[in-house]
This record gives sequence, C-alpha cells and structure tokens, in this order.
Amino acid sequence: MRPVIESKDLGIEFYRSRRRKMSLREIVFKGKNLAPKDTFWALRNISFTVEQGEAVGLVGGNGSGKSTLLKMIAGVMIPDEGGVKVRGGVAPLIELTGGFLGELTARDNLYLAGGLHGLSKAQMDERYDEIVDFAGPQVRAGMDMAYRHFSSGMQVRLAFALITTLDEPIVLVDEVLAVGDRAFREKCYLRMENMLAGGKTLFMVSHSEADLRRFAKRGLYLQQGTLVGDGPVEEIIEQYNADADAAR
Amino acid sequence: MILLPQARGIIARRQVLDTLVRRDLHVRYAGSPIGYLWTILDPLAMALIYFVVFTYIFEARRVGYQPYVLFIVIGVLAWQWFSQCATETSRALLAESRLVRSTNLPRELWVVRIVVAKGIEFLLSLPVMFGFAIFFIAVGETKIHYRILLMPVAIVLQFLLSVGVGLILAPVTVLFTDMPRIVRIALRMGFYATPIIYGVHAAPPVLQKILLLNPMAGILEMYRAGFFPHELNVPSIISSFVITFVTLIAGTIVFKRLEAPVLKEI
Ligand SMILES: Nc1ncnc2c1ncn2[C@@H]1O[C@H](COP(=O)(O)OP(=O)(O)O)[C@@H](O)[C@H]1O
Ligand SMILES: [Mg+2]
Repeated sequence: MRPVIESKDLGIEFYRSRRRKMSLREIVFKGKNLAPKDTFWALRNISFTVEQGEAVGLVGGNGSGKSTLLKMIAGVMIPDEGGVKVRGGVAPLIELTGGFLGELTARDNLYLAGGLHGLSKAQMDERYDEIVDFAGPQVRAGMDMAYRHFSSGMQVRLAFALITTLDEPIVLVDEVLAVGDRAFREKCYLRMENMLAGGKTLFMVSHSEADLRRFAKRGLYLQQGTLVGDGPVEEIIEQYNADADAAR
Repeated sequence: MILLPQARGIIARRQVLDTLVRRDLHVRYAGSPIGYLWTILDPLAMALIYFVVFTYIFEARRVGYQPYVLFIVIGVLAWQWFSQCATETSRALLAESRLVRSTNLPRELWVVRIVVAKGIEFLLSLPVMFGFAIFFIAVGETKIHYRILLMPVAIVLQFLLSVGVGLILAPVTVLFTDMPRIVRIALRMGFYATPIIYGVHAAPPVLQKILLLNPMAGILEMYRAGFFPHELNVPSIISSFVITFVTLIAGTIVFKRLEAPVLKEI
C-alpha cells in the first residue's frame, strides 16, 4: 500500500520583513528592486513518508517549522521546493476556530464550517446532535447565540467537536489535542483514542511528553527547518531533550 | 490546459459555493427588514439622478436611445453588478483570511462566490428593469425585439468577465496594499468610460474607437438590444467576447502564480 503522506525535498521560503507588502509610495519613492531580498528557508529538504494507520509525533523548538509543515500537509500553504503528496482527506485540528465567524449564530457557524470542510447539509443534519452533544450542555443551550458571545472554551469545544466528526482518514493536530476544562480534555483524549483505534493516521505536533507517549509511536524531530530525527517516539523525545539540555 | 482544471475544481465544490453564497445573501438580507429594497433603491436613485440631470438640465436625451429612462436603468443595474464585484473581489482573500487560511478549497472559489452572490442580487433587480420595459411597451414607446435573446448571453459574459477581473484583483491586493484605492478610482472613471448614461453613437469617433476596448460596452449593447431597435454594434460585441476571454485566462494565470506568496501573507 502506498504511504498516505509522502513528503519529498519539501522546502518553503519566507520573507523576514514585510517587504512583500508593497505600497505604491514605496515603489514610487524607493523602487521595488532596491529592497534587499531578505528571506530565509523555514523548512528545507524535508523528506519522509507516513503509512496508513501510523501515529507520528512531531517535535522541535519554537519557530522550528512544525506548524508550517502541518499547513503544507493540510494544503493551506504551498511549498516553494519539492512537494508533499497526501492520499486521502485531512481533518485539520490546526486553527480550530478559523472557519467560524463571530457575528453568526453558533448553529449557522456549525453548518457553514461543516460545509467548508466538505459536509453537505444533509450530512450536517445527521451529525448535528452528535456534535453538539459532544460539545456539552452549555454549548447546546447557546446554539442560537452569536458565536462571539461564547466563552473561548465553548468556542473551541464546538470547533473540536466538529473537526473530529469529519471522518477523514488523516488527522493533523497542532498542539490542540485536547481543549477546554479538565473534564472535557479527558473526553477529547478518549475521542482521539477511538479515532486511532479506528485505523486513522495521526500526525501531531506536541510539547507534552505525556501526550506524545500516549498517542504517537513514531517521532520526527525538526531543528531550525531541518529534519534531524526520525525514529521510535521514545528515542526522539530523548534526542530532543538531550539537545535542549545541552543548549541550556 | 488552463481554465478547465480550475472550473472543474469549483464545480466539484459547488456545495461549498452554495453555502457561502447563501451566507452572503443571508447576511445582506437578514440585517435589514427592507434588505431587498436596498438592492433596487440604490440603482434606481442613481438612474433618477442621471435622468433628471440629463433630461431637464442638459436637455441631452439624444445621448441615449429612447426611452431614455429604460436606457439608463439597464446601464446602471449592470454597471452596479460589475463595480460591486470589482470592489469586493479585490478584498476577497483579505476579508476572509481566516477562512482561507484554515480550509483547503480551490481558492478561486473565494472570488467566484462573490461574483455569484452579486449576480443573484443583480437577477433580483431585473424585475425593476422589466417593469420599466413593460410600462414603455404599454405606452407604445418601445417594442420587444427578438434580440432580447442576447440578454442571457450578456449575463454569462459579464459573469466571466467579473470572475477574470476578480482573479487578478484578489491576489494582487494582498501583495500590493494600494490596490483598493486604485480600483476605486478606476471604477469611478470606468463609469464614464462605459456607455451607461450615453450611447456609443453619441460619442465622438475617437472615443467610439476607444470604447471598443471596453468589454462592458459590448455587454451593455447586448443587454439593450431587445428594447432599442438601433443597429447592433457588432464590433463592440465581438471585442467584448475577446477581451473577456483574455481577461479570464490572464486572471487564472495571475491567480495561480500569486497563490503561494498570498498564502504566506494572509
Ligand atoms: N506566513 C509567514 N510569513 C513569514 N514567516 C513565517 C510565516 N509563518 C511562519 N513563519 C516563520 O517560520 C518559522 C517557523 O514557524 P512555525 O512553523 O510557526 O514554527 P513552530 O515550529 O513554532 O510551529 C518561524 O521563524 C516563523 O516566524
Ligand atoms: Mg507552531
């Protein structure tokens, strides 16, 4: 069987300053070519594959490119070099409330965000109760309220409930494995475990060793945009900790 | 092949398009109890102003065809669709940056969605135009000509033109902060550089040649052809077809080229 995620020589280059945002004044008075091309590679030469059903944990310091890598896998950022092939749909637990708009009611939001992630109205009708039940009674009571009047905990609970109901074979997680209060976090963990047991592929970024050990079998280690480790999660955590201690 | 994959991508996600358009219309019409009226009041007020200015002040009805009110109403309604599309598509990616950043959809969708939503508003405003037409037919000032069949063609062509323009404006605005101002000025000049309140026949010969470069001129010609029995300006119509397709292809290429830098920026 072919790998579900296949990254080959992946690279992306960013501007260090806001150079790219050009204004007419700058072009007229400075000429746009005078600006130094002040860029850096946030990720480069990243190659790895993930097989169906694998659970991979991605570690690395702040700014090492973890979120950027997830975004390229999710297809919301486009690499400048190489590419990443993803076979199958993706449920992105990345910017959880990104598809939600403050001024609409929570219910309208749920249908809108579900639609944006590819669920039809009929499918949403079918899953509505399940999603809202999972999000909890406070959320259910407020479904006709403007979304921005939700507490931030309630906002992410609803978003989490929706994305984890998407039923896509690949789950991407950027540090939001569990949201909300203590009781709800436990529910999130359980749901995540059920999803994994169901054969889904997990690709998660986390700074929590406990979460990594609990969910990931394999680890990937990013250091300043380069992949420096790929192996059993225990070894990768050790390698990462050793580097962190050495840097102290 | 360019265009085909993009079109296919959008059609595959028409469900999402439907959701977004519904939301736009919902927001537009739910916010105000007379939401629909605003769609038609705005162009009607404009048409009234031009009618009064040009009929009673300048006594220059001759610049358009008779009945002049109908002539202006058609022009103003169609122009409103075009200019709203240009204004809003130029903000399409920035205004919805949170949604664009967090969903993996064909990103042309954010442009098409605006043109469709504004297009539906335009269709909803057409009864006003037909109201005027029926009135003038009833009083015997105009007749319906079989060339009214050109109207749906005009609608499709204007749709494609607006999508093409939007595909250029949306990504450029993200990278070039002064774009909305330029669009605003261009639209203001475009209003007078388009035969909305005057007919091409009333323009001096030089301007008539320049108007050939304006695709909206040929499109308006087709909208009006069913009600005004003048000779059809065929070169203008052909030119509008050519320019529309060139714009659409250019837009698709520009959008594809700028997509990666835009996603980094929003
Ligand atoms: N859209 C962007 N434009 C410019 N620089 C960016 C952008 N996104 C991320 N970066 C930079 O790329 C590097 C990696 O960022 P990120 O992937 O968010 O790191 P992390 O591993 O902490 O998730 C950082 O230096 C960040 O400043
Ligand atoms: Mg991050």
